[in-house]
Amino acid sequence: MDVKIGLIGKGNVGSCFLELLKKKENYLHKEYNLRIIVIAIYEYDGALINEKGLDLDKIISLKERFREHKDWKDNIKPIDSMQKINLDLCIDTTPTNPDTGKPALNHIIDALNNHIDVISSSKGPFYLKYKEIHELAKKTKTYIKYEATVASCVPILSIKDSLNGNEITSIKAILNGTSNYILSRMTSEGVAFSVALKEAQELGYAEADPTLDIEGYDAAGKLVILANELLNWSKTISDVKIKGISKITPHTIELAKLEGFTIKHLAIAEKDILFVEPRLIEKDSPLNIGGTLNVIKLQTKYAGPIIIMGRGAGGYEAASAILNDLISIQKLRKRSIE
Amino acid sequence: MINLEVRIPDTPGCLIELIKPISNNGGNIFGILHHHDKKINNMIPVNISFELNAKLRERKLENIKDELRKSKIQIDKIKIGIEQHHFVVILTGHVFDTDVVDTIKRLASKKIKVSELQAKLTEISEVSDVKLKIDLPESITKEEMIDELDKICEEKDLTLIRS
Repeated sequence: MDVKIGLIGKGNVGSCFLELLKKKENYLHKEYNLRIIVIAIYEYDGALINEKGLDLDKIISLKERFREHKDWKDNIKPIDSMQKINLDLCIDTTPTNPDTGKPALNHIIDALNNHIDVISSSKGPFYLKYKEIHELAKKTKTYIKYEATVASCVPILSIKDSLNGNEITSIKAILNGTSNYILSRMTSEGVAFSVALKEAQELGYAEADPTLDIEGYDAAGKLVILANELLNWSKTISDVKIKGISKITPHTIELAKLEGFTIKHLAIAEKDILFVEPRLIEKDSPLNIGGTLNVIKLQTKYAGPIIIMGRGAGGYEAASAILNDLISIQKLRKRSIE
Repeated sequence: MINLEVRIPDTPGCLIELIKPISNNGGNIFGILHHHDKKINNMIPVNISFELNAKLRERKLENIKDELRKSKIQIDKIKIGIEQHHFVVILTGHVFDTDVVDTIKRLASKKIKVSELQAKLTEISEVSDVKLKIDLPESITKEEMIDELDKICEEKDLTLIRS
């Protein structure tokens, strides 16, 4: 089966996805009888478009100079071309404005309105307009998947399909690698918050402006998606009680240690309340993970806690989650046809 | 905490008969008080205080009572004390400038008792950290305690870190 796709955003995640798609070309054909044809790659200032299929080898080899490719056209917007080129699936990997969810939110709405299935790695639209997006997908009979929005390749959204006979009652998680790295360094080395942050920035774990990470907004967005998806809540980011970690000092951590605790920036969904805040956890808790890792503990009604952990960021990590979503959608499409 | 008032015969080995059922049922004994001065008809009043696993308390206490009766130990009174829950929280911010004594008093007015305080003092212009050990009677829930602390912290611009 041929699947014509359009990729919006050729940044790190988008580029890694194209590379992964090439590497998995034979596997997708052999295992799922899928031939993925990338016919459009959109950027903010134009697009690469070829309705017969773009030459991915050439585009990958050009790296940042992809605008030199013969199929590049200036000033083409996804909304203008999406319908004309008859896309089956749209993949959005654009960075989002945390307050508006744009431009990813617009891309998603445009694609769904044009009856095109959507995969997104941009979390903004889902922590702001989760309900509306799902209602639109239902109305337009399209599929929407967004595994990469929470903990990247860690399959925490799709785990729901494996727990149909159970019930998730609450969630406790570490969903931001930057704040976890900072607290881990403050705990292990006793360094000040500002020193640990600078180190994280030098290593590429923190943005030049780390506010969204250290003040808990990034984790809060992911928590909303998790709670809506796994607990069937209907929340937005404004429902989360958020506290950051910037006021924590090495002294705070020393005091916690005296009682056998450590401090972690936890995202919690329980009893209809959402929190992101620094919490004391016991040293031997499974949530006490170091570095930039993410961990999610699901409390279930019939099987106690289930814990899943992994790398919560990175280009190939997100790309693999997107590819998994792509396969899932094609399986659903196949089933609906049968 | 459970306080048991019994009377045992003033004969060797009788105290063991009192302790054994408590020990057999997982009781953690805190103290035993003999009232030799109050001996009547060769029976000595004894007070014994101990703790049992909270979840199994009722069942275990019934076992202990049965075993004591079988050993002919007369039970006069059983007093089950209010169970205290202990919590540790850390407050960070200008904890002293905003009057930590007032913070403790306000908690006490809601029956939330601070039993221990440990602080890391810094320069006066910098923020400090205070660890509080809090005893909570059964009549107050953890959520109510957190609500109270949240109110104070919001008012005094402190950060509450709890378990």
